[in-house]
Amino acid sequence: MSARTPTWRSLAEHEGDPAFIARVAAEFPGLARVLAEGPDRRQVLKLMGASLALGLGGCDPGDPKGRIIPGIKAPPGIVPGIENEYATASVLDGYATGIRVRHQAGRPMQVVGNPAHPASLGAVDPIAQARILSLYDPDRSHGVSHGNQQAGWASFREAFERRRTAIDQRKGDGLRILTGTVTSPTLVAQLAALQGRYPLMRWHQCQAVSRDAVRLGARLAYGRPVEAVYRLDRADVILAIDSDLLSTAPGHLRHARDVAGRRNPVAGPMSRVYAVESTPDLIGVMADHRFVAGPREIHQALTALAAAILRQGSPQPGAPAWLAAVAQDLAAHPGRALIHIGPQQPAEYHALVHALNEALGGRGRTFDLIEPVEAAPIDQATSLGDLIADMADGRIQDLLILGENPVFTAPPAFAEALKQVPFSVSLGVELDETAQATTWHLPEAHPLEAWSDARAYDGTVTILQPQVQPLFGAHSAHEVLALLAGDRAPDGYAIVRATWAKLSDDAWHGALSSGVVSGTAGRPVDPPLRSGATVLPAPPDRQITLLLRPDPYLWDGRFANSAWLQELPRPLTKLVWDNPLLVASALARRLGVGNGDLVKLSAGGATLTVPVWIQPGQAEDCVTAHRGWGRRQVGAVGKNAGFDFLALGDGPLSVEKAGGTYALATTEHHNPLDAAPDGVVRHGTLAGFTADRQFLQTPDPQASLYPPQPAGTMAWGMSIDLNACIGCNACVIACQAENNVPVVGKDEVLREREMHWLRIDRYFEGSVEAPRVLLQPMLCMHCEEAPCEVVCPVGATVHDAEGLNVMVYNRCVGTRFCSNNCPYKVRRFNYFAFARDEVRSIQARNQEVSVRARGVMEKCSFCIQRIAAARIDADKEDRAIRDGEVVTACQAACPTQAISFGNIRDQASAVARRKASPLAYALLGELNTKPRVTYEGRVRNANPAIVEPSA
Amino acid sequence: MTMEILAPEVTAAGMTDEICDIVLTRRLRWWLPCFVVALGGLGLLGAAVGWLFYAGIGIWGIDWPVVWGLAIINYVWWIGIASGGTFISAFFFLMRVEWRTALNRIAESMTLFAAACAGIFPILHLGRPWFFYWLFPYPNSMGLWPQFRSPLLWDFFAILAYVVSSVLFWYLGLLPDLASLRDRAAGRTGQIVYGSLALGFRGTARQWKHHRAAYGVMAAIMAPLVVSVHSIVGLDFAGAQTPGWHSTQFPPFFVFGAVLSGFASVLFLAIPLRRLLRLEAYITERHLDVLGKLLLTSSLCVAYAYAMDAFSVFYGAEPAEVTMFMERAFGLYAPVYWTTILFNILAPQLLWSRRARLSQPLVMAISLAVIVGMWLERYEIVVTSLHRTNLPSAWGVYHATFWDWATLAGTVALFFAGFLLFVRLLPVLSMFEMRELIAKRRGRP
Amino acid sequence: MAGVFEPSANLIAKAALLVFLEVLLAGLGWWFFAPRTDYASAVGWVLDQPVPFSHEHHVSGLGLDCRFCHTSVELSATAGMPATETCMTCHSQIWTSAKLLEPVRASFARHQPIVWNRVNALPDYVYFNHSIHIAKGVGCQSCHGNVGKMALTEKAQTFEMQFCVNCHRDPGPNLRPKEALFDTDWHRTAATPPPDALMAQYHIGGRGLTDCSICHR
Repeated sequence: MSARTPTWRSLAEHEGDPAFIARVAAEFPGLARVLAEGPDRRQVLKLMGASLALGLGGCDPGDPKGRIIPGIKAPPGIVPGIENEYATASVLDGYATGIRVRHQAGRPMQVVGNPAHPASLGAVDPIAQARILSLYDPDRSHGVSHGNQQAGWASFREAFERRRTAIDQRKGDGLRILTGTVTSPTLVAQLAALQGRYPLMRWHQCQAVSRDAVRLGARLAYGRPVEAVYRLDRADVILAIDSDLLSTAPGHLRHARDVAGRRNPVAGPMSRVYAVESTPDLIGVMADHRFVAGPREIHQALTALAAAILRQGSPQPGAPAWLAAVAQDLAAHPGRALIHIGPQQPAEYHALVHALNEALGGRGRTFDLIEPVEAAPIDQATSLGDLIADMADGRIQDLLILGENPVFTAPPAFAEALKQVPFSVSLGVELDETAQATTWHLPEAHPLEAWSDARAYDGTVTILQPQVQPLFGAHSAHEVLALLAGDRAPDGYAIVRATWAKLSDDAWHGALSSGVVSGTAGRPVDPPLRSGATVLPAPPDRQITLLLRPDPYLWDGRFANSAWLQELPRPLTKLVWDNPLLVASALARRLGVGNGDLVKLSAGGATLTVPVWIQPGQAEDCVTAHRGWGRRQVGAVGKNAGFDFLALGDGPLSVEKAGGTYALATTEHHNPLDAAPDGVVRHGTLAGFTADRQFLQTPDPQASLYPPQPAGTMAWGMSIDLNACIGCNACVIACQAENNVPVVGKDEVLREREMHWLRIDRYFEGSVEAPRVLLQPMLCMHCEEAPCEVVCPVGATVHDAEGLNVMVYNRCVGTRFCSNNCPYKVRRFNYFAFARDEVRSIQARNQEVSVRARGVMEKCSFCIQRIAAARIDADKEDRAIRDGEVVTACQAACPTQAISFGNIRDQASAVARRKASPLAYALLGELNTKPRVTYEGRVRNANPAIVEPSA
Repeated sequence: MTMEILAPEVTAAGMTDEICDIVLTRRLRWWLPCFVVALGGLGLLGAAVGWLFYAGIGIWGIDWPVVWGLAIINYVWWIGIASGGTFISAFFFLMRVEWRTALNRIAESMTLFAAACAGIFPILHLGRPWFFYWLFPYPNSMGLWPQFRSPLLWDFFAILAYVVSSVLFWYLGLLPDLASLRDRAAGRTGQIVYGSLALGFRGTARQWKHHRAAYGVMAAIMAPLVVSVHSIVGLDFAGAQTPGWHSTQFPPFFVFGAVLSGFASVLFLAIPLRRLLRLEAYITERHLDVLGKLLLTSSLCVAYAYAMDAFSVFYGAEPAEVTMFMERAFGLYAPVYWTTILFNILAPQLLWSRRARLSQPLVMAISLAVIVGMWLERYEIVVTSLHRTNLPSAWGVYHATFWDWATLAGTVALFFAGFLLFVRLLPVLSMFEMRELIAKRRGRP
Repeated sequence: MAGVFEPSANLIAKAALLVFLEVLLAGLGWWFFAPRTDYASAVGWVLDQPVPFSHEHHVSGLGLDCRFCHTSVELSATAGMPATETCMTCHSQIWTSAKLLEPVRASFARHQPIVWNRVNALPDYVYFNHSIHIAKGVGCQSCHGNVGKMALTEKAQTFEMQFCVNCHRDPGPNLRPKEALFDTDWHRTAATPPPDALMAQYHIGGRGLTDCSICHR
């Protein structure tokens, strides 16, 4: 895909050109109407729905209307029916994660991980996977608009030219550029060049999800900006304080892989993880000990920790009871202990944590310091503050907002001040709040459409290459900046290539195909730790603290229009389509509210009425609200979803019962604490394991009356390591993308009709105040004695020779008896034509998997399409399928390699070895279903010195 | 006094005249209004089914994990009601029970229409009803056969066989009476219609001989069929390992339940009909008394089944079974369970008292309670079992929607529409059998 | 009593019953046999095409190999339809002014694809893979008939499920030696290895070829 994208293909040239629209209609049925009639999304959705029936046009002969449309010239490297894969990166808040994009019939179809990329190692997170949806999103911005009226690129370029002459005379005075965090060498080079051309211009950075505390903390600790890169595989003891290490921190996929590598006692010595959290996060799920702590306790804990580790003093009174043991444990592992603290904690805390890690001798072992990955690590809050002030004073004539949505994410003052700017331009993929507020809006090329580059958490550079030509004549930030620099025909490819001129063509193509530019990882630096203890500011004394956190999937709201992410059950609440206020059960009791009851929040003069959700393990003096919801200007999917907590002002928060309730959709329909998971999620302590490695085993079930399954040479099986699963949901989205699993919408989830083939069951154990979370990915077990098979009257679900429990959709008449008889309840039923009605472009569907009709049952197939492909390849070469040749979608996406899959008859296979583990057990084995999926029981490396109240 | 199954004044000729009069000449003021209401209900059924086929079964309340709902409940309920008629017309015929003669026709017609109502649900219930015939083994272009291990398949055969033979048995029994109607019909249309339906039955000795034989054979076929059909319905559940279903006692349990609701329904129809059509002379208090006793007996059988159901749960002590049962008895759906006990077990106990058996309003009330109770029993079996299965993560709830209820109401209307037409157009008593009975009785000194 | 029915009524009744029975049987027969006719499955019916392409001429006449146009048949699930470019490799030199070929030239000039009408179609839920069938010794002819004799291309087989299943149950008889795979008019001769030998030669039999999962996903 290193072919050059044609330069400056303006949609304006084509506006209203019927031939062009016809061509687009043939290629993207859903989008044709947009071009023909402008943005009337209802019609577009109709067309999208209709287009499902159409099948893929182009060179793929799959058109039920009975037409075959071959190409005019056979496109190079594209063979119908054979997939291509091209590397690029998914960039979030500046930090890149390597991905590869699967193409079918020459079109991007799925996002998968890039094994060659340090931040991915083959794994991919839900947000990155959902980008394929946003690429084809009919609600995307599809044209230049001026004062919210449609305009062409041509007219913008005219206007822009006129501004530029003025800007030239002012030497750039009054010209401002607002970006998010920037790691792209190309963008930095362009900005530098502009700065040279317009000395008085200013560049502001502001990322909605702030990491200022991390930057400032490093600065305080080392006197200069540095980036800490963690080597969690080398850490025997980890203390995570309100940490996003596994969930959202840059490099979190890699972190997850490294931690998980140390969590299975059979594989090797276990690490020990402590989590101190105000509100539960993924690290707390994995932790051996999780301590609930509000802001005040965290402050006390850190002070005490400092005393214990820096000054070898005994923790002073007021410190939590468990602290001594933790401090001791950390101190007992010099060079193998690590402390991590989340970006929401103040900079001074970060500084202290740096000092502690140095004291624990972690530098060069459990963490490295490298040059900042960011191009310009500034304090973004200040930068934004200056910008707002200048705008308000009318000191800004021209403002360029690149890819951010400050009108929604920044304080209301921004939107106010923006009105003072005569010429404001927003470049964005969607028509968001900012697009509405600026004088000009330009459609930004989707990350999968444009040339660019970006750096990963460790500095490694990836060249982003377009997977498809811009669908709406959109353009990248690079091209727009080039335009500002006076380039009349900017060409993204040329701009990026120029940045990497030092790369030979071979090196360049190598970088493109591998997805990493070798030797670009950040250089380790060796700054001395500044001496002098930092004083920890005590948190404001509040009765209730509002923790405003980014939504794990909608992030700051930029993914609000993604149906997959909206309907992805949140890891711990299992909520979809909403963001209620998460409260501790004690607080709920005090307020006299339960799940779904409305409460009135007031802070800083503003009030907001929202439903609450009781979050077990939440600190009593904190309530958690997720950002990114309640978007005001968003596509059809994100409309009226959730609440915008940014509407609340600063200052102390008061919560009172408002009366009334609100329907909240969750995919766990039972009361989390009334379920005893003992037999279901088998778990124990490391002590128990060392005493008896078989301690999770139960006696074998009695012999079966049925004849054993035919013993062929192939028998597909799966093993899932519950020690590794962190509940990140990467597998769920991967399954949805791979298997065309439809989204059903909030109402249908409320009716308990969600369709995910793979779900992650979540159980709590212990007290509701400080429970232990147990997770269990649940998918079709492919039982050898499958109860579903015997009850189907038409034989629509049967066994195949390799032990797969096959669901034949086109034979199913929909008696649903199979679901009744499935003890694992992994079968999903199409009560309506969910697939027909969902907003999923035909191009984003996997051609290799049937789209299920109304009235049929469906379920996990072990990605049978991948097995079939491997089968055919192997048979063509007259050989057996190799171990690892078939990788299921969930397995491929999993950051912790919790899932292994393969031929269990082959004793050498990875899965066979996993199944041989003393921890391995069959779920509900007593039913004698002989599931082909087995689990490895969860082992906690508990610290004997700590007695947990909930233990 | 000892209750007789025939009022003393009854004579064969008089009986035939009276019964034929009901059809041929008598005005029934109450009939038309009732029928109009029933037709209204039929309209509702049409709407419900039409919308169902158009929109899909998502319009019902079924969900995940409760994928079976009212459709199955109604099916089992109706087929159970149908059993009552077959028992009276076939079983008791084979046992030469004399009192069954007067009730035979009413009971059998009830069976017919109840079975019809039951018959449509298995098809409506399918996700893709237009492929229902795939359950039938026929040589097809797919080179496939149905799956003979599945209880549902055998259920399909059983219900098919049951409905077909019910129709035949009923029609066979009608032949001589149709002939009588033909002979007595005043208008030519009547004569032609009844005549054609009578298939030329003229009452020759030869025809009587064949008729007797055929009737006996059909009865001998029907009797085991009614048992098999309910056993197989029971297997639909027992065949699954779902907690609350996986029990070897289900087949007899379902037969008991069916018989209970069947007798209740016969009572519920016979008592008012007796009044409205002035049949007191033929359907005497003796009949009600006997039916009352039968109701009590079957209720005791069901009580035993309930007891065994609870016992086996705790005897087996499967955690999932116990969880489910505790949920059934004390959880969200507990009212259903206890109402079931009240209506099906406790209420019929009143019938121990002779005075209760002879109080027609009370017997009506008890019968109604049992009919409702049996519906609730099926609700409890289907829904509570599915909403608490082995994995807590797959627990859910079920709420029927408007369209669920509309379909149920619609089939009730279908039943009454059919039954009313029967009352209006056909003899409500099996006249030829009555004549034999009368002859036999009067023959004695 | 006044006889409503003449004695003949019995006869009429019997006849009526007979007719009813026959109608019933006829209906069943229609329902069963109609879909099995070539008319219903469109076997042997020729569709209008933008260009009256003759396989007979190109294959039998000129001796073009199937793979010249259907390039991906050995690599991919789909055999592949030739791009206009492919036609023009020859037809930019020969028959350059033929009226019949106007659509081809137009397509090339105006960059508008030729829209062919599909002759052989499978339902979307069937995942047929050309390459494996070729690799395992099933010749084109087995499914597509003797295209070398087709002046205009027609459907040669019903492509009903039983057509596929019958072969999957016993592939042997439909296998042919490698060299004969693309022969559109091939017949077993005494020299041809027996089915079992071919089965062994192609290593067929390791898979449950009649598993649903072989074709349906």
